[in-house]
Order: sequence, then C-alpha cells, then structure tokens
Amino acid sequence: MRVIVADDSVLFREGLARVLEGAGFEVVGQASNIDELDRILAGEQAAAVILDIRMPPTQTDEGLVAAKRIRRTHPEMGVLLLSQYVESHHALDLLAESPNHVGYLLKDRVADIGEFLEAVRRVGNGGSAVDPQVVSQLLGRKRSRDLVDQLTDREKKVLGLIAEGRSNEAIASALNISPKTLEAHIGTIYSKLGLEPAVSDHRRVLAVLNYLRSA
Amino acid sequence: MTTVQRRVIQAGALSTIALACFFEVKFKTLDGRIVPQLAQEWYRVPLDLVPGSSFVLAGLVAWSRRPLNRVGLLMIGVGVGLLTRNAELQHGIGEIAYPLEVALHFISPLWAVAFLHLLLAFPAGRLVSRLDRDIVRSFYALVPLAGVLAVVIGHYPLLGAIGQPVFETKGPADYVYLACLLVGSGLVIRRWFLGGRARRRSIAPLFGPMVPITIFFLLSLAYFLGARVTPIPLGGLKSILGDLATAFPLLLVALPVGVLVGLLRSELDMSSVGDLVVKLSGGLAPERLRPALAQALHDPSLEVAYWLPAQEWFADLEGRRIELPTDDSERAVSILGDASSPIVALVYDSSLVHEGQLVDAAAAAVRMALENARLQVQLRAQLEDVRESRARLVEAADSERQRVERDLHDGAQQQLVTLLLSMQMTKAEATRHSDLATAAMVEANIGALRQALDELRELGRGIHPTILTQAGLVPAIMSLAERSPIPVEVTGELGDDRLAPPIEAALYFVVSEAITNAVKHSQARRLCVSIARRPVLAIVEVSDDGVGGAEPSLGSGLRGLTDRVAAVGGRLTVKSDHAGGTTIHAEVPCG
Repeated sequence: MRVIVADDSVLFREGLARVLEGAGFEVVGQASNIDELDRILAGEQAAAVILDIRMPPTQTDEGLVAAKRIRRTHPEMGVLLLSQYVESHHALDLLAESPNHVGYLLKDRVADIGEFLEAVRRVGNGGSAVDPQVVSQLLGRKRSRDLVDQLTDREKKVLGLIAEGRSNEAIASALNISPKTLEAHIGTIYSKLGLEPAVSDHRRVLAVLNYLRSA
Repeated sequence: MTTVQRRVIQAGALSTIALACFFEVKFKTLDGRIVPQLAQEWYRVPLDLVPGSSFVLAGLVAWSRRPLNRVGLLMIGVGVGLLTRNAELQHGIGEIAYPLEVALHFISPLWAVAFLHLLLAFPAGRLVSRLDRDIVRSFYALVPLAGVLAVVIGHYPLLGAIGQPVFETKGPADYVYLACLLVGSGLVIRRWFLGGRARRRSIAPLFGPMVPITIFFLLSLAYFLGARVTPIPLGGLKSILGDLATAFPLLLVALPVGVLVGLLRSELDMSSVGDLVVKLSGGLAPERLRPALAQALHDPSLEVAYWLPAQEWFADLEGRRIELPTDDSERAVSILGDASSPIVALVYDSSLVHEGQLVDAAAAAVRMALENARLQVQLRAQLEDVRESRARLVEAADSERQRVERDLHDGAQQQLVTLLLSMQMTKAEATRHSDLATAAMVEANIGALRQALDELRELGRGIHPTILTQAGLVPAIMSLAERSPIPVEVTGELGDDRLAPPIEAALYFVVSEAITNAVKHSQARRLCVSIARRPVLAIVEVSDDGVGGAEPSLGSGLRGLTDRVAAVGGRLTVKSDHAGGTTIHAEVPCG
C-alpha cells in the first residue's frame, strides 16, 4: 500500500517511515509542511496520507484544514490525522461529511505498531479509524440518565470497538467470539440504546459516536 | 484715573451740552430790552442738540456703572464731538475767538472716528483684534490730515472774516466721516453674521440700532451723491432724500440707548448666575454642569476642561484630552485654581471677555461642583488606564500560556513520541533476536514513557487547550464536559461567529474552574453549563446541585475568575447559599 507521511518533525517522519516500510508499506513521499504535501499529492498516487493536525506555520489546525480539503479533492484517498490531543469534536467533524477513508488517532498510537498499521490499512481501504481514547472518553462520560449504563461490560466493549471503526470480523476475532454471538450482542445494544440498525460499518461509526456525544 | 480727573471729564462733558444749548439762543436788543431768540428755525434745534447730548448722557451713565470699561468714555467722546460739530456753537465760539472756530472745525470729523472706535470696541471697551486696532488708528491719523488737506486745497479760509459762515465747507473731512460710517457699519454687520450665539447676543445692542442707521446713512449718501454728482434734478425724490438726510442725526440716538440696554442686561445676567447657584444647591450631576454654565453665560459653545494632574493635560468628562486654544481671538479661556495646580479651564467665546466678572461669578458659583467633577474625571481616566493595562496583562499572560503550550507540544511531546516509536522498534528488534530480557526492559520503559506523555498532555491542556483555538468555546466546553468525573449537561449555542480570543479564554476558564471547584468541593451529583449569545453579550452559566457555600472572597480561584472576566469588560457573579447549589454566572460584552 502506497502512503504519504506529513509531519514537521523529521525524526518522527523518518521513524514512522521505517515502521511503515518494515511492514511492507511503500512511503511515496514525506512532507514537512502543507505546501510540500500538496506537491507530493499532485505527483503521486497513494492509498493514504498520514498527517499531523498541527503543522507550520501557525501550528494550530493547518493539518485539520488540509485533511478536510484532501477528502474533497481526493475522495478515494484515505486520510489519517494524528494529534497530541484527541477531541470528539474533531472526530465527528471529520466523519460528518462522509465516514469513509478517514481516521483520527492520538499520536502516541503509532507506537502500538500492530494496531497503528491496522488502522492505516483500514483507512487506506476505505474504512474509518477513531482513536480508542475518543471512544472511551465518550463511553465513560458521566451522564445523569444513562442508557449506556444498562449495557453489560461485554456489550460496552463491543460498542467501543464499533465506534473505533472496526468491522464485525475484527471485533469477533478481537473478542474471541463467533460472528453469530457478536451479531446477537449488537442487536441487544441497538435495542437497549434505541438506535436504528445501521447497514454499513461506516455509517454505524458515525451513528454510535453521535449517539454517545449527544446523550 | 483719579476722582478729580473723573470730575473734570464729567463737568467738561456736561458743560459742552450747556454751551451748545447756549449758542442756540441769540440775544437781540428790542425796544431797549435784551430779548433771547432762537438762532435758527426751531426744528433745527433738536437736530443739533439731541444726538450729541444723548451720547454724552448715556456715556456718563455707562462710565459710572462700568468705570473700567472704555465704552462709556468713547460714548462721551462721540457726544462731545457731535455737539462741537454744531454750527451755531462753532460760529458762536468763532465770534469770541476765530482760531478756536478753526480748531473746532479741524477736529469736526473726530466724532465719526470715535463712533467707529465705539462700534469696534463694544462691548469689551477695547479693540480685541489687531485689524480693528489698525483701522481705528489709521482713521484717527486721517482727521488732522483731512484738515490740513482742506486748508491746502482751499476749502477752508484759514483767516476768514469773523462771523463768516464756514460751516458749509466740506471736502476731505466729509470723506473721513463717510468712510468711518461705512467701515463701522460694515464691520458690525460682518461680525453679526460670522459670530456664534454668544457673540451675536453680545453685539445685539449695537446691531439693532445699526441696521436702521446704516439704511438711513445709505439713503443720505444717495442724496449727497445725487446732489453732487447728478446733473439731473431729482425733483421730489431729491427733496425727500434731503429731508431723510437731515433727520439722520436724530436716528443716532438709538445707539446710546441700545448700548445702555446692553449694559442693563449685563446686570440682569448676574441674576442668571444666581439661578445657577440655586440649581447647584439642589445638587448638580457633573454631566449637567456644562449645560448649566453655558446657559448662565449665554454661550452654548462653552466647554469645561478638567485638569488631570497625572497626565498634565485637560480633559472632558469622559477623560478625553482637550487642547486649550492659544492666542485665538475667537475663543477665550479662564482657568480656575492657581497656575501650578489648575482645577478646570472654561473655554468660551471671546465676546464674553468683557463680562469677566460674569464669568468669574459663574465659575466661583460652580467651583465646588467643578472640583468634584474634576475628581470624578480624574478617577475615570485612571480607571480607564487601569482597565486597559489589566486587559493587556491578561492578554499577555494568555499569549504566554499559548506559547508555553506550543513549545511543549513541538518540543518535549514530539520528542517523547518519537522516542516511544523508536523504543517500540528496539523492542521488536530484541524480540526478533530472541533477547527477551532486553525486550522486557524496554517494555517497562515504554510504560513509563506513556505515563509521562499522558501527564505532559494533561499539563499542556491545562496551560492552554488547543481545542479552544482550533474550534472555539462550545467544542472546548464540550471537551471539558466529556472529561468531567461528574455528569455535565451542556445546553445553548453561541452561533457561528467565533468570539474574540480573550473573551473565549475568559469564559473557557470560568467553566473549567467552575467544574474543577464543583468536583472538589460541592459533592454535586450533576452540573449544568448553559451558554447564550445576546446581540452584545456572551453569557455562560455553570450551576450544580451540591452543598453550596462558595465564597468568591475566600477562594482565590473564584477571585481570579472574577478578575479575568472583568479584564475583558465583563461581570462574574456567584450565587451560592448553604441551602445548596452554586451558580456561577459570567457575562461579557462582545461585538
């Protein structure tokens, strides 16, 4: 899979590139700012872009702005946004337009190499990846009248993995349960929370996150 | 001027009237008896006597009322000049001593120059502008020149026979007289149309009489020119014009009357100062001082400038700087207090200068109130300074926090994440080489490093939440709510427009601190954050259902919040009683 890496720290970029190349990815370009990224995008075909939310010159939200733009100009390209802080606001903001080809992870996540590579693959293949911290923050959020509290621990775990953007297959193997059992769990969760059963994996990520955030 | 000098002038003026009356009468011997007879036709007598006497008498009254104002003396001068122009008087004196008659005739246009002087000097009694002084001086110089010229070109028989009428000889002296009246009326009318309300009011006693005087003067000028220049006989019109020209001197009476009215009115004005004192006794707010003074002094353009010792300049009630006019003939300044420590300056139309007493009386009446107002202005100016510097301090602190957070983000955090990555790779390498001991050691370090990163992240978030700059107040408050250990319900909207960064920061820290406090002290089960945007206000309110008892004066956290909100011009109120619940309400003005 061809990927592009954009981050203003050369050490981090190089480290990330080594990890990716070690896992068989092809890093077709490295950018230290948005202009460089745009030049690489103009010349290279890639399945995914991995970029930091804070980029020069103002170090505020250049990466976020660029990510949204790339999603419009390159709808078939995955965009994985990394940040030192993860916020549910940004996650929903990114997913809101279309929940495909997009990921939003805490920067530390790159060190969980297996998980991280899986997320890059998912985003590059059109799926979505939401940082577990965003999900756990939303799941663990204290509410005055909490439907989420009616879920069993296992159901909560399933709901969390759904919100992270994982497929049924991945969830079933992660929890070591059969796909049939998983589907039963999902049915229970949906009815307990009063959610409409979603058809596609992508759609349900947004639905679940929205539910968790607004509840 | 000594009393003796005054008495001499008064006596001289009165005897000129008596003399003029005396020469209107001729004594003839009839049947061995001496019989008094009028020297000329009866209707000519008032024409000779009334204008001059009215100026002299009004001048005497004015002079006694306002001894320091030269208007009175000038009026006496005009009156005496008019009376000595009287042909019968000149002739009568000529019968006694011909050189005296010549001398009197020489100075006969002097009354017109004195008249011009009076017009320009009224009401101050002195010539304010340089132009006025130059005009009057030139005309005074012209009087003897015109006399000499009359002799040279032979209009005037210097050694004429005794009793020969010299009255008809006109020539250069007449031109002086004509020019004086033209220039004088022209300048008065100009002053009226260019002046403000105070100036018009001050010259109204002149302007009133000068309008008919100018009209009549122009008519008699027309007659004069008609008689001299036009060869065509004007018939009836000419004789009407002639009659009008003859009656012209009588009209001059209106002027001394007008001037006296002006004088009386000035005394009435003292009663408006009295009104001012009455108003003050009822308490006068600083905002109403200026209008009250302007009314008492009849000058709507009056300004009150308060001295600010710290800034060393004068300012208006709002603390804005006022420059005092310098050497400007249109605006005059009175400064209250001594030169080293002024209190206020009154800036007014220079036509009030001659009413110095009135201005002083009015200023004295309001002095206490002005001093109070000055202190208020001073306070406001200082308050404004403090407010601005406080806002600057908070802004500086905010940008410093932002800088520190950024340094942390780009420096330590970034390096630690890179280190984490490389340690993971080291671990993978060790595992690949079956060096399980090393792998376990690295794994332990990775755990410690993750913890350090988490702590650093919390620190950075506390210093400056990036979500606030990236997405605004509502998402930042949502983020606070999501991470709160007790349930927080967020309601309300701010609309699409972002607030100014200092306001966003102030309101964010209000919510953040309120949540922290509630978690620490209130034992609340739930919190409510409501956000609202009014046209000119942004409002944030945090309420809990806890034990209450929060005291802004005790907790430095709440005190700090109060200061922070005040620094952006807003207000923070805390409602917290021991019955339960605390509500922190912050509202900040915003465009």
